[in-house]
Amino acid sequence: MSEMPIDQLDLKRAIAGDERAMQRLWSQHASHIDAVVRRLCGDPELAADISQEVWMQIFRALPSYRGDSQFGTWAHRIAVNRTLNALRKIRRIANLEIDIQDDSAITENDSDRTFLAESIEQAMTKLSPGARAVFVLHDIEGYTHGEIGEELGITPGGSKSQLFKARAKLKKLLANLMDESTTVAPKGKVHVAPI
Amino acid sequence: MSHLSEEQLDQIIAEERARPQPPLNEWRTIAARAREEGLIRESSSSGWVSSQPWMQAAAAVLLLVGGIGIGRSTMGLPSATQTPSAPPTASTAPADPVGATAFGSSDTTFASLEEATATLDRAVTDYKRATAFLAANNSSARSSDSLAMYSARLVALDKVFDATESALQTAPHDPVINQYYLATMGARAATRQMVARPVALRGF
Repeated sequence: MSEMPIDQLDLKRAIAGDERAMQRLWSQHASHIDAVVRRLCGDPELAADISQEVWMQIFRALPSYRGDSQFGTWAHRIAVNRTLNALRKIRRIANLEIDIQDDSAITENDSDRTFLAESIEQAMTKLSPGARAVFVLHDIEGYTHGEIGEELGITPGGSKSQLFKARAKLKKLLANLMDESTTVAPKGKVHVAPI
Repeated sequence: MSHLSEEQLDQIIAEERARPQPPLNEWRTIAARAREEGLIRESSSSGWVSSQPWMQAAAAVLLLVGGIGIGRSTMGLPSATQTPSAPPTASTAPADPVGATAFGSSDTTFASLEEATATLDRAVTDYKRATAFLAANNSSARSSDSLAMYSARLVALDKVFDATESALQTAPHDPVINQYYLATMGARAATRQMVARPVALRGF
């Protein structure tokens, strides 16, 4: 993601507790940061609560930001880490390794057989939390399987396997959406996220 | 029902990736949490004007007073600083924090130059009295370093006041100097009262 370089003066002021400088940082990055929180949670109310925690952590950690990466990338990492930790705490991702290895987390249940999603956001709610995390991080946020493995405590192979199954389920859930759409997928479009 | 192709799914994902999404919370919610945790420090949230509502209102009126100074100079009238005795109408009205009594509604019209001048003088007087009243009665300030902050502010305002007063000797009708002189005078009076108040009344 391209982004404007962070204003160093704003950063210093935000570290010093200047509300307006903090608000400027938030305004510039909230939509991107909150989007990943929302996608990982799959529940807007829960996401709003976790987003508050994420932003508190970002502000707490400001003094440790060295500028080695873009501010948005740095903050995004905090958001992912904090969200996954929060989901673990409330057992939305319980025993993630087991969840990831368990095919039943992906396999459709009775209600899913008749469910057709109206959006990918809705379809993602039908994935298990672990599978959703892998899909969101890889296909939407652009993480590699190695990075996902580190975040989720699984192997890169486990991440690939989970992604394959998540995509298979999404293709089925979203079939109706594409049937109704007049949009034609561009030929030759390749998978954009790094493997 | 057929499944999507890989390309079709990638297209949907690309659209989702680019879809703008609003923040999950409003800034005031985030700010409230940050304030609770001490991440926002009130003393560094703004310049010399406090974040207290009464001081913000006073700041808004300062701009008004600046406009008065400019207006007077533009019209070639003597500045308020040169006519310390306000017209008779100035002293009886109760203190009004925003000077609304003096200015009335925005569609107020004036029958004469004298009437408009009297209104301007009344506004300046009301502003000074309102600022002093708010400083004397406000008890919402609460910060462990409030006294140090007010003292530092007073030192700064004293310097600005001295400088603008000295400049007025040379250029008594300069609108910008008048603006800063009047604004500083009001803020200095309010700050002096805050410094002089007993600690308990400062809300520590």
